[in-house]
Amino acid sequence: MQIYLPIAELPVNALVILAMGAAVGFLSGMFGVGGGFLMTPLLIFLGIPPAVAVGTQATQVVASSVTGALAHWQRGSIDFKMGAVLLAGGIVGSVSGIFIFRLLTQIGQIDLAISLIYVVFLTIIGVLMMTESLRAMQAAARGTPVPASRGGQHSWIHGLPFKMRFRRSKLYISVIPPILVGFFVGMLSAIMGVGGGFIMVPAMIYLLRMPTSIVIGTSLFQIVFVTALTGVMQSVENQTVDMMLGLILVIGGVVGAQYGVRAAARLKGEHLRALLAAIVLLMGLRLGWDLVTTPPDLYSISDVAPHS
Amino acid sequence: MTIRALHSLAIVALLLGAAPARADQLVTDLSEHKIAIRSNFTGTQILLFGAVEANTPGERALDRDIIVVVTGPARAMTVRRKERVAGIWVNHDSLTFPRVPSYYAVASTRPLEVTAGIDILKREQIGIDNVDLGSPRAQSIDGSEEILPPDEEQIFTKALIRNKKRERLYISDPGGVTFLGQTLFRATVDIPANVPVGLYTATVFLLRDGQVVDAIASPLYIDKSGLERFIYRLAHAQPLFYGLVAVLGSVLAGWLASALLRER
Repeated sequence: MQIYLPIAELPVNALVILAMGAAVGFLSGMFGVGGGFLMTPLLIFLGIPPAVAVGTQATQVVASSVTGALAHWQRGSIDFKMGAVLLAGGIVGSVSGIFIFRLLTQIGQIDLAISLIYVVFLTIIGVLMMTESLRAMQAAARGTPVPASRGGQHSWIHGLPFKMRFRRSKLYISVIPPILVGFFVGMLSAIMGVGGGFIMVPAMIYLLRMPTSIVIGTSLFQIVFVTALTGVMQSVENQTVDMMLGLILVIGGVVGAQYGVRAAARLKGEHLRALLAAIVLLMGLRLGWDLVTTPPDLYSISDVAPHS
Repeated sequence: MTIRALHSLAIVALLLGAAPARADQLVTDLSEHKIAIRSNFTGTQILLFGAVEANTPGERALDRDIIVVVTGPARAMTVRRKERVAGIWVNHDSLTFPRVPSYYAVASTRPLEVTAGIDILKREQIGIDNVDLGSPRAQSIDGSEEILPPDEEQIFTKALIRNKKRERLYISDPGGVTFLGQTLFRATVDIPANVPVGLYTATVFLLRDGQVVDAIASPLYIDKSGLERFIYRLAHAQPLFYGLVAVLGSVLAGWLASALLRER
């Protein structure tokens, strides 16, 4: 079933997009990740212009993170104060990300930048997750519990000024690290079309040392607002949000996520993580391969950006 | 283009001198003057047809040629060349042409090079290689202006045409115009799914002994229609409102999903 996308200006097979949305939704339901970092490269492989893939993906992340954030809100596992601080950084990051995005589009390096950032992040995260899950599997086989990784109680973070008390997180730390984390994630959201949970969650656990139970809810809270802002700004600045594409992705994602959550209950945590790590690594390798192999045509053409 | 054609018509008439006062004339039309891109649009074909009204009765139409040219709105386009930097292919030098037809299809009764001389083809901009793209501006990777030697420019021009052909937006079909009997002719032109919207021009040239004796240009509108048009227009005319609608729609979808989850 071919359907013409009004903003991407090309016809796609609606069933393929729906299936992709469902597959990524399934994975995101299974692993509790937003799935943006999987969907954007998939859309690009399918021939959707990278700018449209990134812009549209932001709205899809809004939908999936709203669902997640609402669930966590009911459970009371959101630190709103920490979320607000992360959000403040996220807003500034998102705005600067949009600016960088436009600059890169004008000088013709946006495709390369998106691919490069994806290769770097997918590889790092894939390797980290793979080693961690393999270690966990080995430990489980030997029957010894994995020692919880805890660094020194006082890191350099505690030397920073502008301290604030976060009751829900049981923390008294400087606002600078969470603002920087939020800023970084906001920037990624604008350039990569992702929520950034896969960066923010580890950063909150290992860097800010927040209790694991409220990390996901708090990150989802921040993601809802930052990706919503990104979606609006991508529409205003670049007109790269395709409602039709977004709608199909959201429908697929919602359905897929339901089954993903159920499937996750039947699989072991470390196996799940190893599987996700393998998928992430494969996508990183595929994108990296395209960067280093000689392209079939060294010349490419593009419309001159209307803004320049 | 029509004025030029009329001009050449006058020259032809002058040169022929004793020949009949009125040369052969064209009558043409398109199967469609408006193509609507709807959600099920996967490309289409247009049919150009017409007749040659011979004012020189009794002559056989052996030396007569028809060329059909369909051009889309011209836009500025950048051609970029990748170079390997530290093992990675990076867009390096670029060349921007100020007016590149977004679409160009040419069909003819015989291959163009045997139909008319290169000077005529260049003057009438018939044939993909003969289109005037304007004087290009070259830029290096750091954004500084460059001056490329003519043979380099030629390579970039060829690359532009190659890419456009690959996107099926530049089409050359020698032999695509067929005569049905002595006077009637027809040609079909492919309009691919990725066709840019705008005002197109379909021009039919009548050539005799390698000279243009008549030309008729007809407009062809290609535009998005229905929901596609509504979404596209909204995105460009009211981008803030569009963005808010898109995001609020997503919020609603997310909320709906969680409401459904809770009911289970």
